[in-house]
Amino acid sequence: MGAKPKLSMYWAASCGGCEIALVNLNEKILAVDAAFDFMFCPCLLDTKKKDIEALPDGDIAITLFNGSLRTEENREMAHLMRKKSKILIAFGSCSSAGCVTALGNLSPKGENFKTIYLDSPSVDNPKGIIPTPHTTVPEGVLELPAYLDRVKSLAQEVDVDYFIPGCPPEPHQIWSVIQAVTSGKPLPPKGSVLGGGTSSVCEECSRTRGDKKIKELRRTFDFKPEPDLCLLEQGLICMGIATRNGCGALCPKVNMPCTGCYGPPEGVEDQGAKMIGALGSIVDVEGLKELKEEEINTKVDEWIRSIPDLAGTFYKYTLAESLLNQLKGRKK
Amino acid sequence: MKVGVVFCKCGTAITEKIDADQVQQRLKKLYPDVDFVTVDLACSEGGKEFVEAYLKDKGIDRMVISACSPRDHENTFKGCMHRAGRNPYLMQMVNAREQIAWVTADKVAATDKAVRYLDAAVRRVMLHDKLESKQLDICPDVLIIGAGPAGLKTALTLAESGRKVIIVEKTPVIGGMPVRYEDTFPKMECGPCMLEPIMGDILHGPHSADIELLTMAEVQGVVGSYGNFIVQIKQRPRYVDPHKCIGCGECTAPCPVSTKNPFNYNLDEKKAVGFTFAGALPNSVYIDPEACVRFKGESCQLCKDACPVEGAFVFDDKERVLERNVGAIAVMIGSEVYDCSRIPNLGYGKFPEVYNSVEFERILSSTGPTSGEIKSRTGKPPENVAIVHCVGSLDSKHKDYCSSVCCQAAFKFSHLIDKRVPTAKITHFFKELVVPGKEEFHLFHEAQNNTKTKLIRYGSIEELKVSGSGERISMEHPNGKGATEKTIFDMVVLCPAMIPAEDTAKVGKLLELTQDKAGFFDEMHGRMDSSLSKVKGVCLAGTCQAPGDIQRSINQGLAAAGTILSGLVPGRKLEIDPIKASVDAARCSGCRVCNSVCPYKAISFDPAKKISHVNEVLCMGCGTCVAACPVGVIKGNHFSNQEIMAEIDGVLS
Repeated sequence: MGAKPKLSMYWAASCGGCEIALVNLNEKILAVDAAFDFMFCPCLLDTKKKDIEALPDGDIAITLFNGSLRTEENREMAHLMRKKSKILIAFGSCSSAGCVTALGNLSPKGENFKTIYLDSPSVDNPKGIIPTPHTTVPEGVLELPAYLDRVKSLAQEVDVDYFIPGCPPEPHQIWSVIQAVTSGKPLPPKGSVLGGGTSSVCEECSRTRGDKKIKELRRTFDFKPEPDLCLLEQGLICMGIATRNGCGALCPKVNMPCTGCYGPPEGVEDQGAKMIGALGSIVDVEGLKELKEEEINTKVDEWIRSIPDLAGTFYKYTLAESLLNQLKGRKK
Repeated sequence: MKVGVVFCKCGTAITEKIDADQVQQRLKKLYPDVDFVTVDLACSEGGKEFVEAYLKDKGIDRMVISACSPRDHENTFKGCMHRAGRNPYLMQMVNAREQIAWVTADKVAATDKAVRYLDAAVRRVMLHDKLESKQLDICPDVLIIGAGPAGLKTALTLAESGRKVIIVEKTPVIGGMPVRYEDTFPKMECGPCMLEPIMGDILHGPHSADIELLTMAEVQGVVGSYGNFIVQIKQRPRYVDPHKCIGCGECTAPCPVSTKNPFNYNLDEKKAVGFTFAGALPNSVYIDPEACVRFKGESCQLCKDACPVEGAFVFDDKERVLERNVGAIAVMIGSEVYDCSRIPNLGYGKFPEVYNSVEFERILSSTGPTSGEIKSRTGKPPENVAIVHCVGSLDSKHKDYCSSVCCQAAFKFSHLIDKRVPTAKITHFFKELVVPGKEEFHLFHEAQNNTKTKLIRYGSIEELKVSGSGERISMEHPNGKGATEKTIFDMVVLCPAMIPAEDTAKVGKLLELTQDKAGFFDEMHGRMDSSLSKVKGVCLAGTCQAPGDIQRSINQGLAAAGTILSGLVPGRKLEIDPIKASVDAARCSGCRVCNSVCPYKAISFDPAKKISHVNEVLCMGCGTCVAACPVGVIKGNHFSNQEIMAEIDGVLS
């Protein structure tokens, strides 16, 4: 078995959906096993950190790293996996761009803790205990990984070879990446996004599109969308226009607007900003020509207010990588 | 790639705030390979020669020039690049004078700012593409839609300079609205007579061979863009060959059918064959197929029998669709009047003696329903006439704007009534009086000084209430002394707002012209470019762009002609600036977000390829679509995201 290249999959701050996506390869998982020595995956296998530490550097052929970096442990593991892997792949939206966990960056650490450990209605914490990295108990000192000030994507901490987008990545895309790596053909340039297209979800969406002028925004529970018409034109914020294709437009296919999990299209730096730019261009204020400037402002404000969660809508998957994020300098 | 920074001192205007030596040293640290040179006055003859020599001698192919506003001298320095054999787009200008020296008082801060600006410009210029302008063959011919005063004057001017012109006119007659007016303000000139020299030249003048006049015709399709439009024109059958018809009118008397005459606003009747009015041009009758019994299956040919010319009548005439290639289109489709029945208290449409201004013009005309005699429908000359100004104008419930010509028309009516029915008393009801210009006050003064004429101001049009029965109509109105009175009038003339013609939206859609909130065509700029639409190559003139008088329409038409003549020159190619947007066709997702954002209608969607396309002739390089494209596949040449981000990084570094 030692002759087979090693494959590992690590989860940092993630939900486990990425592991499920891998398992969703179904019987193809056997082919993965045939091609690789699948040797590390805390969700599925019993290998320990010390086993990885014991490996020579670069011993693992490929590491699929999912999850964002929320804690000191996540950060430490990112460095370890980088050191031990030939190819480190940021797997899924969290490790690519922060995903939902990065929405925590909207509030400082203290405020997050207050909400999670003190204010949440389901919390019973009469002593008001907040977790700290070191807690002294009669038996000694207990350690917890420290909570980082801000959530980072994998590439904001270590050098990443490739990115596989998706929340989670689609199994057929995972398969195509595995095939590409096992085929022995030259790999794409470092930093490439694998398992995605170079356009936007609209390219894969079969709904009919027309000139876009959006009078009023609606939400999925407000009405039943027309099955064949562009969801954005029906007033639903469908992020498909500003999202990398590759998923096969799965959500719009079932009348759900795209939420943007494949991240920004090729070459677009900030998915949310692009979406806002596009929406700003197609807002159709009723009777615009009749209105005074202040009235237009009021109408546009109303339009914007009808979006219930701006960051959660436009930056659901990419806040860590957004231009808004002060932490990260832009990629040079 | 060799980048050189040319730092102009602008005499001392720049260096009294910015320390050039320090800038050079700090920039050298950041970019050891970038050359730096100072020059006293780069825009002087010596300065330009120095820059050219510098580029050549040092082998500089990309230049950052730190000097004044690009508005002043970007082209000057592009010229230096060009003459030195460099691509002029491989240049970036830093506005060190206006944006730094003139506004940043502190010398240290100004120098620091200059370093940041130059850092940004160096980063940017390294990313510049070698852009090349393109040249396109053009067609210098012109299509004119609408044969009113503006259209005719424009057509004639263009033809006089040797251009081929196609005039498309919807009605059977040319001359527009003024040919219906026997007297025009301010000098009481006869409308048709005033236009006759132009109309005569259009039809039979020395340049008429270059003018194709298509009456009873409408544009039904337009493709292409500035320099090369292909226009489809539908021409309705006239059933008379206008080249054979001698206009004798022998055919009208025998015609057995009479029908409402729309030219006289249905105030009288016309025959199924005939002229729109006596003296109408082109001098050819036409058959109204809606009225003619022959088109209802009868075998009547009394008109043909009466015709002294063989072959003038063509009963089997068919609708024709013509295609013409033109380089520019001038839209001059005029306007109409606001429907007075929308203000029910004025009684228009309810009482026959309440007329609107255009109906009254026909009553005043010797070719009109009463042959110019002012009389009520019962045949009596009026004793007391009310003339109401501002009907629907300057009224937020109707039209916000002042229609600018109604006051003058109203005082013209006053003058003519006084002349023709000297016993008549006249009352003007106005909201505001507008008589600007060097000639226009005469008629106003005349009314003001006429003892039989009263002028009463009202606050809101709703204060005027017309009521009555039969011939007797009365109006409740303010009396000018703070009270309300009721007066019997036997004629009420309403001067309604001028509004866009019915076809404005249709023509607008064909040409992708936008309309303002009142429905008039949007001009490029209200003061500077009111004869241009926002679509390149489509000019505007006359009342389809804004309410106005004949003088304004004619002048605007001439302005349009000037633009066309200078822009499309036979034998000269159309130069296309390369600073345009372009779509990466391979990556466009066809989401169509960009389709509706272009103010110049340069973007179209290809339904077969399912991608959007920017027409580089129409594109003005504004970048609106670049910002809107959510896939990031529309690139603004010379303003690419990478170039802009590099510039921002430089400023913030």
